[in-house]
Amino acid sequence: MALLVAIALFLAQAINFTLVLRDRANFRLAQATRPVATRIVDALEREQAGRTLSPDRGRVRRVAANPIPSDLPRHPEVSSELREQLSELGLRVGRIDTGLQPAPLHPDERDLRLGRDGQSLLIAVEQPGRGWLSVVAPWPGGGGYIFWRLFAQTLILYIVMLAAVLWIARRISRPLRALASAAHDFDPSVSPTPIVEHGPSDVRAVTAAFNGLRLRVTAMLDEKDRMLGAIGHDLRTPLAALRVRIESVEDEQDRARMVDTIAEMNRTLDDILSLARLGRPSEPVTEVDLAALVDAVVEDFRDLGADVNFEEAERLRIRLRPSLIRRAIRNLIENAIKYADGAEVTLRPGPELIVISVADRGPGIPAERLADVFAPFTRLETSRNRDTGGIGLGLALARAIVEEAGGQIALSNRDGGGLCAEITLPRGR
Amino acid sequence: MSDVADMADIPHLLLVDDERSIREPLAQYLTKQGFRVTQVGEAEAARARLTAYAIDLVILDIMMPGEDGLSLCRHIRETSETPVILLTARSEETDRIVGLEMGADDYVVKPFSPRELAARIKVVLRRTAAGGTRQHAPDAGAYAFAGWVLKTGERALVDREGVSVALSTGEYNLLLALVQRPRQVLTRDQLLDLTQGREAAAFDRAIDNQVSRLRKKIEPDPRNPELIKTVWGGGYALSAEVTRL
Repeated sequence: MALLVAIALFLAQAINFTLVLRDRANFRLAQATRPVATRIVDALEREQAGRTLSPDRGRVRRVAANPIPSDLPRHPEVSSELREQLSELGLRVGRIDTGLQPAPLHPDERDLRLGRDGQSLLIAVEQPGRGWLSVVAPWPGGGGYIFWRLFAQTLILYIVMLAAVLWIARRISRPLRALASAAHDFDPSVSPTPIVEHGPSDVRAVTAAFNGLRLRVTAMLDEKDRMLGAIGHDLRTPLAALRVRIESVEDEQDRARMVDTIAEMNRTLDDILSLARLGRPSEPVTEVDLAALVDAVVEDFRDLGADVNFEEAERLRIRLRPSLIRRAIRNLIENAIKYADGAEVTLRPGPELIVISVADRGPGIPAERLADVFAPFTRLETSRNRDTGGIGLGLALARAIVEEAGGQIALSNRDGGGLCAEITLPRGR
Repeated sequence: MSDVADMADIPHLLLVDDERSIREPLAQYLTKQGFRVTQVGEAEAARARLTAYAIDLVILDIMMPGEDGLSLCRHIRETSETPVILLTARSEETDRIVGLEMGADDYVVKPFSPRELAARIKVVLRRTAAGGTRQHAPDAGAYAFAGWVLKTGERALVDREGVSVALSTGEYNLLLALVQRPRQVLTRDQLLDLTQGREAAAFDRAIDNQVSRLRKKIEPDPRNPELIKTVWGGGYALSAEVTRL
């Protein structure tokens, strides 16, 4: 950004510099040639009126041959400019020659009075057949001096401007950068501390707008959480009432079925609420032993009499949200038990990734529907009835949890039948 | 229940819940289970009943309009030793921890099984009766032993390096029972009894199996257990020094 400004400014200054320089040169040219042209035309008019031009007196002299010594430096641009001006005045001439005469070493009083202390340009104009007209014109010297003066002027301007622009850019960009990083790191689970408004008024306005936006987003999320809490409460209360009343149902089988139904409704409600809240997990990330965590989940299932196998693994430290990950693994195992009455759980630590797989020997899922089952409330044809149903949210929640932890979850059909669900977690987090 | 002597033996429960649809059938069920139940719909009335009767245990809904359950729970804890079981509609960790910090003895999450609630009431009553004076919030806080810290609010076991080691429900209940009674020999029956009040999970699992699993997790050498000792002919005992944190 600063470089771009510097380059743009440099270009602008360079263009300006050349323009001024050219202008200067043109001005000097015009200054040198215009009076000369007038004088020549004047002198010729006077000559026609009968006054002869002397070869050694007067401003315009008539000589027989080119009077300019060949060793003087030439200025062909003066020649062409002069020719143009003379032709504009209706005068056609032959060759035009110029010669730059150095300043007199010891300028006398007269020279000083006439301002001839500088260089002078000898100009000779040939009138074919009538000899040459010779004129001396003052030549504003110090081309180099002007160049350097202009250069210094430009340079100073450049530095001053660049410093000013960079200072302004910095003043704008620093708060903008703070704003960008605040927007990037925006974490809705942390109550926002407003960014300090500073910098130019526009930037301050943007910062204020961002602070306001962040407050509104947080307020909205708070409101959503409150609403979800209320929904949870309002749905759980009638469920709890039903659950209490069920206890007075006489028929043992009926009662068991009702209890299961309520438990299932409650689980679904739990899953919905967890899924909706996952953007702002209330559980902090902690250092855990993943092997013990998987083992504990498996053990809970075995305590309930489920056939779940887990090869005990080495201690494996990792940073994550333990109860959420427990939930994800539990959902996968629950699915396996539902469809296959059992699961084989393995934990494979790699150098960078850790894979937790939950495999079963159930019916599997048709290959073309493997991706669909992660969508909330998807049910496969085979799982429509309630006895085996309930794939609805479990996988969606498991995936959301794993992705929140920076991992991935994939399903595949196993050789020899059955489904394999794999959670892949990054190790260094 | 006309006999006054009989009344004294029956535990008197105070059920505080603003939801009639839960309160009434629950009171009915608990009465059938052999408790004397007084039910009220708000905190104000509960305070009045607490001073009017000798209440043995309070069952308290957290979410109530007006003064909520947590505030009432704190009031009860400040003024008496009456045990409290909280009813909560949310299973979130924070609710549980806050509830236990407020001095509740236990909690159940709605929708709960009335049987489980009855079982927990019995456990809490037994605990308070056995101890004579009530242990202050036995469930809240943390226990440190042999380099480990068992955090009860989060149900987490944390090692020296701060790594938390997950426990199954059964393992957790067993370990909690052990750290709450260090250097006491607990028979298998006692352990079953102490661990079963909480969750149905631990019912059928043999205590020996749980102990061996727990040893694998916390013993430096599970083959020669130092922490959880087998007492010949008796049961198990935690040999380490336990500090309440």
